[in-house]
Amino acid sequence: MRDKMSDTEATTDGVELKTFVQPYRRSLIVGSALLLLTNLLDKAIPWLLQQAIDGLERGDLEVMKRSAIIVVALAAGLWIVRTGSRVVVFNVGRDVEHDLRNEVMRRVHRLGPTFFRSMPVGEVMSRATNDLAQVRLFVGFGALNLVNSIFAFGGALVLMIALSPTLTLWALLPYPAVVFIARFFGKRIYARSRDAQSALGQLADAAQENLAGVRVVRAFSLEESEKERFEEINQRAVDANMRLVVLRGVMWPVFMLVASIGTLIVIWKGGEMVLNDELTIGKFAAFNAYLAQLVWPTLAFGYLLSIIQRGRASFERVTEILDAEDEIEESAAPKSIAGRGDIEVRSLNFAYGETPILKDVSFHVPAEGSLAIMGTVGSGKSTLAALLPRLIDAPKESVFLDSVDVTEARLGELRDAIAYAQQEPFLFSTTVRQNIAFSMEDPGASDAEERIERACREACVWDEIQLLPKKLETLVGERGVQLSGGQKQRIALARALLSEPKVLVLDDPMSAVDAKTEATILEAIDRAKEGRTLILVTHRIAAASRADQIIVLDRGHILESGTHEELVQIDGVYASMARRQSIETELSTL
Amino acid sequence: MSTDVFKKKKVSRLFVAQNAESVGEEQRDIALLKRLIPFMKPHTRLFVIALIMMPLASLAGLIQPWLVKKAVDSVVVQRSPDALSNVVMLYAGAIAVEFTLRFSQTYIMQLGGQRTVAGLRSYVFAHIQRLGLRYFDRTPVGRVVTRVTNDIDSLTELFASGAVTAFMDIITLAGIIIFMLVIDWQLSLITFCALPPLAIAVNLFRRWARVAFQDIRLTIAQLNAYLAEQVSGVAIVQAYGRQDDCADEYAEINAAYRDANYRSIRYDALLYSVVQSVSAACVALVLYFAAVRLGWIEGGAESALYVGTVVAFYDYIERFFIPVRDLATKYTIIQSSLASAERVFSLLDTEELDAPKTYPIAKDENDKSAITFSNLSFGYHEGRPVLEDVSFSIQPGERVAVVGATGSGKTTLLSLLLRLYELGDPKDEASWPGEIRVQGEELRSLTREALRRRFSVVPQDVFLFAGELRENLLLDESSRSANDDRIWAALEQVGAAELVRARGGLAAKVDDRGSNFSAGEKQLLAFARALLRDAPILLLDEATANVDSETEAELQEAAEKLLSSRTSLTIAHRLSTIERSDRILVMHRGKLVESGSHEELLTQDGVYARLHALQNDQ
Repeated sequence: MRDKMSDTEATTDGVELKTFVQPYRRSLIVGSALLLLTNLLDKAIPWLLQQAIDGLERGDLEVMKRSAIIVVALAAGLWIVRTGSRVVVFNVGRDVEHDLRNEVMRRVHRLGPTFFRSMPVGEVMSRATNDLAQVRLFVGFGALNLVNSIFAFGGALVLMIALSPTLTLWALLPYPAVVFIARFFGKRIYARSRDAQSALGQLADAAQENLAGVRVVRAFSLEESEKERFEEINQRAVDANMRLVVLRGVMWPVFMLVASIGTLIVIWKGGEMVLNDELTIGKFAAFNAYLAQLVWPTLAFGYLLSIIQRGRASFERVTEILDAEDEIEESAAPKSIAGRGDIEVRSLNFAYGETPILKDVSFHVPAEGSLAIMGTVGSGKSTLAALLPRLIDAPKESVFLDSVDVTEARLGELRDAIAYAQQEPFLFSTTVRQNIAFSMEDPGASDAEERIERACREACVWDEIQLLPKKLETLVGERGVQLSGGQKQRIALARALLSEPKVLVLDDPMSAVDAKTEATILEAIDRAKEGRTLILVTHRIAAASRADQIIVLDRGHILESGTHEELVQIDGVYASMARRQSIETELSTL
Repeated sequence: MSTDVFKKKKVSRLFVAQNAESVGEEQRDIALLKRLIPFMKPHTRLFVIALIMMPLASLAGLIQPWLVKKAVDSVVVQRSPDALSNVVMLYAGAIAVEFTLRFSQTYIMQLGGQRTVAGLRSYVFAHIQRLGLRYFDRTPVGRVVTRVTNDIDSLTELFASGAVTAFMDIITLAGIIIFMLVIDWQLSLITFCALPPLAIAVNLFRRWARVAFQDIRLTIAQLNAYLAEQVSGVAIVQAYGRQDDCADEYAEINAAYRDANYRSIRYDALLYSVVQSVSAACVALVLYFAAVRLGWIEGGAESALYVGTVVAFYDYIERFFIPVRDLATKYTIIQSSLASAERVFSLLDTEELDAPKTYPIAKDENDKSAITFSNLSFGYHEGRPVLEDVSFSIQPGERVAVVGATGSGKTTLLSLLLRLYELGDPKDEASWPGEIRVQGEELRSLTREALRRRFSVVPQDVFLFAGELRENLLLDESSRSANDDRIWAALEQVGAAELVRARGGLAAKVDDRGSNFSAGEKQLLAFARALLRDAPILLLDEATANVDSETEAELQEAAEKLLSSRTSLTIAHRLSTIERSDRILVMHRGKLVESGSHEELLTQDGVYARLHALQNDQ
């Protein structure tokens, strides 16, 4: 693998496209040399044509035959050189795209929730797909055509002047118009394609709204009026597109017209010159051939402008990912963690921007102890859980694992020590086995199989996995089976257990499961907490009561804390929750 | 075609190998194009005109090299300035005609294409309006939106630069061959000798390129899926410190993608260059054999006569190879358009319709009640009932509340009443049993419009459409006739008049999804909306959203006014609504367990009494 960018760390003052093209500078030079050679060979053909035709007019057939043979030789050479030039230059485009893609992935891995709130998955994807493709076009296609156009234009011009300076002046008469035409169309096409894009955007909005409000649409039988509304926007989109299409449709014929007028002038003036014996007929034919070679580079210039503009704009958008600041940075002199999983939080204050989330939270969980965190929605309990393994950055001197401030700990060690399972378990759309083994350092180890089974059994999900169509090899998600919420929870738990963490942080493992599943998960939690520290975020009394200590959060601060018995005694929020839940439990057993 | 994307040198973290489907791709392409035809039909006239113009435009272009020949002849053979200026005039005429025809042809063809695509888009949108909620429960909104927008949009490429230009190219190629044959058939035949090897080369490269193209499609899909998952699951990747493993795995797929592209670039470049070179070789053939023939037959005497022919042949050969050269590009465009077409048509093939058909079930003339559920069972998945054997009826004018814990089946009750989900098939013994009658008529015997016209619905999450407030209050046809007085009266009645006035009246702007209104305000507006609809039966799904106590009071008062003296079924969360109902239905785990007035139920000391205790505890 030619992976030259792997060492490039993010620069402080922004990433430039140059950095990514740099490693392929040599290829670009070789490509340009090949392009130059291609053009030289290409330009030789009309020259030979001229000799052949002049020979023909004189009746010197040997010259014709000789020219023909040389043309064949040139054609063979051209095949090789031209193939080479295209392969070399286009490959650079792909190489740069490839490196940028890997870099995007590397950046994504270093970014945290703050970034992804501002740039959701869809936005990241659109940068990694559409924008990268534009950058590639810019680097590959753009570079090739830029260099090629310069060589082709310059070469043809020099040769035309060599054939006849007067006729060259005549022939180029219409070409200044190309500049104006290009500018005329360029501006308008830009504006109109923006309109067309926005029309498409309105269509998307209309469809989005219709789908988001589908229940209202159905309940009120709004289908017909929705169709009418959509029809109207659809028609507007057609109109906007047509305005763009007309312009595009007229642009090419206009360019062709300019080129044809050039040819017309050459036939007229050139013909006169031949009649007056100022020009041989062979030169006349060669001149025409060179003129024809000007058409494509002329058109390409207009094309190139837009490719360069779009490429640059797209690269800007890609850099929004590449230049994003790391949210979590490992300390310059990271400390090792040695201990058995003692967690301490000391007067922790935390805010998202201006919004305070946690206020003066303190607790201490000794190794192999357990803590339940309770509280209503928005009380800050999930944030607290994510702060422990430093998935969200904690303020200094507030969270400690085995007496080491997490902000100073070696990040890898910290996360090895603390396994964290999210509230909504995230499973990758791969096999059950790969999902569980994701937390293993060495999934290829010989005892991997036993360890996976042990973790699954601990998480009380082994038996259910055996019932899946392909057991551990069953695909999860769209292409495989749809797992129930409870199954996902426990697979995520098995994943967490498999890493054999000192500390297990579970964020509300029973948020959306029925009573039967709840019992299974509780059993799994009981097994999981043996021999390790457990931090359990939950809203279920049945789960919380199993912990050594319980804290109840309310809008970021600790409202109550103690053991289950103590809190029931206090007769506060916890006690009232306990009463409600016992009624609910009673109801559900009816 | 299986792709060995992933050389197994270590255990893969998340990657699962897949095979690309490659069976009968050409047949698939043709089948897809055929499905487009019905949408092109309404615009037949445009396409016919464009198709007639195509050969004419081609002709106007192809006559130009012939005129160059004439010009050469006029200076070399006739040596007459008059003949030359005649040719120049003709040439000027030809370029003017070509310009006009090319522009009109493009315009008309594109107009047809745009209209075809717009027609397809409306059709797809209409189809979406027919789809049942079950489909939307399963399919992310974004995906459906992409079908309607980007996927359909990329079909315009078929008309702009794909299939249509390919047709134009064929006409041009045929035209060039004819012109060449007419000018000098012997030289032409010799020139065409170069074509069979070229055809073989093109075919070969195309086949290789197709394999490369499939690999590209497969790997890019994998790349994008991988990245999307890494973004969604980034917390898990970070929590287990798997950044490097995942980045490496991604890099491997990325490298496979790049390599597939390398191959495609190679074949593409080979094809492009071979065409250019064969073109040059053809010119050489012409020169050589013109010389040989002159030597044999005429001894080179009248050779000047052939100057024009050689010049024209040079030009024709150049023109001949341009479309051949661009073949690969067009093929790519057609392929990507067809991939979009496939996704669009597969959405159209989705048969999960909303209220798919009506069954001939007779009206029960004796059933005077507004709503009757008889022994109804229902579930979203086979064998997992959400409702079990539910029977009750609501009399005209009666005010009924449904209560029950989360997951007891209350919301399903409402969805079924509107036939948002399909009940069992009455003729199929094995499907969910039971029936629902509305004003004596079984709901499966009614069209969805006829059924839904009978209800005014206030959903739990009020949905406001972007636009004006007035449109949002008068959603459907029946209420659209309401004048401003009626609207204001309704607003006054639910206590929303003041808030509307504060916003600047009925013309007030509503942002996307009503985001410029608070939850409480939206509720009030939904009440007014339901009043204006004035259907015989009111269905109310009370919001559970947290609102401040002042708003809560306002909402209760408004709900009171809405519910008084109206046939209504409310999924109730508020005590006041529940207690003042004529009857309370208590749902528990899909079953109707208790039914009666508030007092009756409290004395029963059953589920309701306990739920009541729960509520009071809050």
